[in-house]
Amino acid sequence: MAGSSGSGVILDSGMVQYAPLIILLPMLAFPVILFLGKVFNKNPFWKNTLKEGGLIALPVMAASLIISLLLIKDHLGSFAGIKDSLNILWVNTSVWDGGVLEPVTLGFGIYVDHVTVMLLFVASFLCLLINIFSVGYMNTDPINDNKNHRFYAEFVLFCSAMLGMVLADSFLWLFIFWEIMGLCSYLLIGFYYEKPSAAYAAKKAFLTTRIGDVFLMIGLVMMWDLFGSLDYDVVFNSDNIAEVAAQSSGTLQWALGMMFIGAVGKSAQFPLHVWLPDAMEGPTPVSALIHAATMVNAGLYLVARMFPFFGDASMSGELVDLAFIIALIGGITAVMAAAIAFVQNDLKKVLAYSTMSQLAYIFTGLGCAMYLANTLDWQNDDGAHYIVIVAFGAALFHLFNHAMAKGMLFMASGSVIHEVHHAHHHLHHHDDNGDDHHEDDFDAQSMDNMGGLASKMPLTATAMLVGSASIMGLPFIGGFWSKEGIIANAWRVAQDDPRFLIPAMCVLIGAGMTGFYMSRMWLKTFAGKPSNEVAAHVGPTNTWIKIPLFTLIFVTLSAIIFAGMGFTHWAPDSEYSFMSERGLAEGIVYEMKHAFANSDSFFFVITYVAIAIGAILGPGLAMSLYGGNLAEGEQTKPWMKPVIRLNAWVYARFNFNNSSIAESSLTRALEQRLYIDYYYDMAMLKIVAAFSKKSAEADTLVIDGTIKSIERGSQSLSTLVRSLTTGSARDYILMISVGTLAIFFFLWGVA
Amino acid sequence: MSDLKTVEPFGEGFISALCPELILFAGLILLIVIPNLGSGKFRIPGTQTRVPWLLGGNRFKLTSDPRLPSWIAVLTIGTSFVMTILSFQDGVERTAIVSEGGTQILMINAFSRVFELIFFGALTLASFACMNRLDVKGIGAKLSTEELYNNRRQGDFYILMITCALGMSIVALAQDLFVLFIGLELASFSTYVLVAFFKESKSGTEAGMKYFIVGSVASGVGLYGLSMLYLWAGSLQLDVLATTFAQSGNEALPMIGIGFVLVGFGFKVSAAPFHFAAPDAYSGASSPVAGVLATASKAMGIVGLLRILLIVAAPESSEDGTVWLVCLGLLSIITMTWGNLAALGSTNPKRMLAYSSVAHAGYMLAAITAIGAWNWDETLSGDPGEAAVVVLAALIFHLMVLVAFKLGAFLVLSVLESEGGGSKLSSLGGLAKREPFLAVAMFIFMISLAGVPPLAGFVSKLLVIMGIVKVALGDMSEALSTGSELGLSDVHWVWWLALAMVINSAISVYYYLRIVVVMFFEEAEEGRSGPLPNGWQVRFAILVCLIATLFMGVASEKILQICETAAQSFNYNWA
Repeated sequence: MAGSSGSGVILDSGMVQYAPLIILLPMLAFPVILFLGKVFNKNPFWKNTLKEGGLIALPVMAASLIISLLLIKDHLGSFAGIKDSLNILWVNTSVWDGGVLEPVTLGFGIYVDHVTVMLLFVASFLCLLINIFSVGYMNTDPINDNKNHRFYAEFVLFCSAMLGMVLADSFLWLFIFWEIMGLCSYLLIGFYYEKPSAAYAAKKAFLTTRIGDVFLMIGLVMMWDLFGSLDYDVVFNSDNIAEVAAQSSGTLQWALGMMFIGAVGKSAQFPLHVWLPDAMEGPTPVSALIHAATMVNAGLYLVARMFPFFGDASMSGELVDLAFIIALIGGITAVMAAAIAFVQNDLKKVLAYSTMSQLAYIFTGLGCAMYLANTLDWQNDDGAHYIVIVAFGAALFHLFNHAMAKGMLFMASGSVIHEVHHAHHHLHHHDDNGDDHHEDDFDAQSMDNMGGLASKMPLTATAMLVGSASIMGLPFIGGFWSKEGIIANAWRVAQDDPRFLIPAMCVLIGAGMTGFYMSRMWLKTFAGKPSNEVAAHVGPTNTWIKIPLFTLIFVTLSAIIFAGMGFTHWAPDSEYSFMSERGLAEGIVYEMKHAFANSDSFFFVITYVAIAIGAILGPGLAMSLYGGNLAEGEQTKPWMKPVIRLNAWVYARFNFNNSSIAESSLTRALEQRLYIDYYYDMAMLKIVAAFSKKSAEADTLVIDGTIKSIERGSQSLSTLVRSLTTGSARDYILMISVGTLAIFFFLWGVA
Repeated sequence: MSDLKTVEPFGEGFISALCPELILFAGLILLIVIPNLGSGKFRIPGTQTRVPWLLGGNRFKLTSDPRLPSWIAVLTIGTSFVMTILSFQDGVERTAIVSEGGTQILMINAFSRVFELIFFGALTLASFACMNRLDVKGIGAKLSTEELYNNRRQGDFYILMITCALGMSIVALAQDLFVLFIGLELASFSTYVLVAFFKESKSGTEAGMKYFIVGSVASGVGLYGLSMLYLWAGSLQLDVLATTFAQSGNEALPMIGIGFVLVGFGFKVSAAPFHFAAPDAYSGASSPVAGVLATASKAMGIVGLLRILLIVAAPESSEDGTVWLVCLGLLSIITMTWGNLAALGSTNPKRMLAYSSVAHAGYMLAAITAIGAWNWDETLSGDPGEAAVVVLAALIFHLMVLVAFKLGAFLVLSVLESEGGGSKLSSLGGLAKREPFLAVAMFIFMISLAGVPPLAGFVSKLLVIMGIVKVALGDMSEALSTGSELGLSDVHWVWWLALAMVINSAISVYYYLRIVVVMFFEEAEEGRSGPLPNGWQVRFAILVCLIATLFMGVASEKILQICETAAQSFNYNWA
């Protein structure tokens, strides 16, 4: 029985009270853009001035970013260890539960801690940049004409859900926003739904992540069963965890494991990775936003949120197996995805596999950090505390670096594809009206159709170069700082627990593989001679695309500054406050020393092995196989000249014939994505399809049958009843008499 | 009882007390006189002198405008409506109009005022919407005889509307069964003619005729019941009857008399098995008139039933008075089930709405049963009348909101009717594309009828069901308080009425949503495309209904207060 209901807002002071606006603004922009787009479709003002909704989304996302930044500033400026929260109650009622009235509250809250702050910045910052990019990308392609309002509407809805997921104060709300993101991902991958491959990819992405989501839901139900709540405040409470740990720590491990499967699905890890490469069917901004920079991080965020369970003293040693599984899945995926990326010729697919591989690095990093937190007595021992925090921080820092670099890479690749496409169009169809330019089978995404673009698109090439370097982990650039940390920590854990040797080896080998495929991609696209006439006619890109590229080049290059600010310390833990330990310059020196001249000889060796493999061996191999000098007379920017020159030298000096490897069965298997998709399809056809056929039959027979017979029964009753309405007044009067007599006899009988 | 004010006819306070009715009366006279103003001259007998007396002859251009009667009617009933609302402002003063002998004839209190609101509101909207239904051709010499004839009929239609309103409000006010009967017949005769008003159409005439014949039989039986009551008590005054009933109500004569009266009013509320003429009448009549039948006319029947059953034969005044309750409960279950079943297979939306109206009559009868079944033993159920007031307020609220969505639905059909459709489900096809506003409005009316939150229909149904359950619980309060195990056999029988209502509501969703499916998902019939015939008045009326449906659902609080006041003033023995 429902009790009283009421509503109230519990407010904390500061920016956090405006935090709901971060979610609400894009959420409101969604119907507005959709509606206006429907009404003013084809209207010149709408199309040219408002960019079909792009310039409605833009200020909204900018506002979200500004509020986010203020919130972050507010949070980082406050004392260490303070967690901001805001709780808005909608329903405050009670549930009758066998004699006791149990209070039930329904509401939405904002939860801000260090992890939130980091991902909030990543999400809102990249959402804005990609929005700017979209205006330059989507609105200049005639194929999108009059459809872009759909894109922008789904885009803002996605952003709203992503930000909501980050800010939510309970696993329940996290799950709700998680699902909205899944929906947006489905809609955006299938943006060109008239293309069968896009429709198929959308369906595949949706169904694959759905498998993970079901497990996530099971995990949440189990957690509800353990804690009686899904609010962070309750489940992260140390007393509550201790109580659960005393009774059923095994169940908690299973619950967290189930939730981890959800994260595996969302972050495209083995074995639920099959959807991500196909998801590249969506427009490039979608790939950049959802499938590289933000949504795939949701899985990582979920795992990072589990940290308090691993770190709690009462659970000490209980969750080691789960930590190992997390690291193992990461390790396997890192190597597997990198291997498949070797043979991809589609520019975006290389990036997709690279995304998978890099996310796997972060999973490995998180797994190791979780292991350390779970085994060490880190809450009391300062040395252990530092180790745990830095391990966790390295994973989060890699998340940050990867999101920035991969967002940039996707946008740059979009810019390349866009211009190649235009060049092709210009070259072959410049005399017709241009609506039929998609009928031929020219593939603007294939790297075989590129080459030598460094001179044509200098900014794009630079962005690509910086992004690739960051992903590869070239010293001093972006991802280097975090990747070294992940590798080092994996080996640290491997010393404690030999099982972790597998992921540790995987991430080390993976570094070299990353070096190879990222270099291969850059060289095939930008170095060498144009591989065909189209690539020779590519022109520079437009300003809307340049702004975000430029911004992100800057951000990626300044990763050392973030590192120097102690990112790896304050991002994961409340003990360290923002920039509290040491100043910026001192911090940079510290990081440098820590990376290159580690006092521990073991880590010293590991670092240089990783650098040797990832920054010399991998790229060197790629240089000997691909690229070469630019065409005669082509010039590029001075900072790219050494790279090209080095490439040309290596290419001339060490080139060898790799056709025996290229034709081997391993290569074929990699080209077929290790047949995993094939076996999944088989399994679907044989088991799932057969099962669903049976259940469909049962549905028709039992459920439909019952409903149909109820319907038939009531229809025939209806016919019977209506047949008494003959239409003759005589019969009506007869019925009145019958009724009257019935009443008469009834009353007479009783009275 | 204490603050009752008595007013003699034409005495002090008479005009303010009967203001709405007097306005109606004035409007009636205006409607008869104004269209007939002309340059007519009266010849003084025996002489050749002709005195102009302004009646007959060549009509004045201004006053003979065929649009004028409808506006006069709308303004008249509308003014009455507004005056009724205004009278609520500083509390309705209980005022009785007494005859010279001191017997009460009419009683003005919150209860009657609320019902006046219902009647006038429905009739105003219907009259307003009718402006688009009657064929107004303008004025001038070019009109054919037939068109001229149609224009002349304008006045007749709206005169009937006003007499209908007058009759209904007399029923609401009456304190004497004879006066009540007079009002009932005045309203009934008006509706008989209104149903058959389009005498050129075969179905209209047939429906009107049937409605008249069957209605006359029912009235006859009801009048026979009244005469039995008179024979037994020697008076038709409600308070006299109530007192007498309390003393000797278990005699056969009054019981059977009340049974017969039940038949008469049962026809008015279209309770099964007296409802048979109703679907025919609804589908034969023009839609606004059908809407009036389904809302105002039904409310009038309910007033009659309430007066007879709850004041005269209320169990509080008689130990054995509960006999009729079981009878009424059975009647209500039969009625709601019958109505819903018949509506299921109906392919004529007007007939479907008629059957749905039968089903609603069943719900209302269930509510009346529950009020009667309230255990009046103070020691058992606490405050006497509390639950009864709740159910009665819910019933009044239900009748009130019914005006919004039932009439609204009929008005939407009315627009289709002026295109020649409306009598087949398929003529609603593609309405969402042809005229989205009408389709959306109809959609909201349908889900409100089905009882979907947060619309008015949900609130009213919920209140009635909850009220019934409350009555049932109140009677079981002793068993509940001792905490003993309760089986199904221990449940008060009134509870089963609530269950029947819930099941029937579930059935009804099917046919309400079928209309929605046709409107939104099926293509328009061949030859029907594009927007429907013009006419802002009917659309405005639909808009008013729509807003009322939404508003009364969301902000039911205030209106419920009014209903509660009305329910409390219904019977002065209640708190």
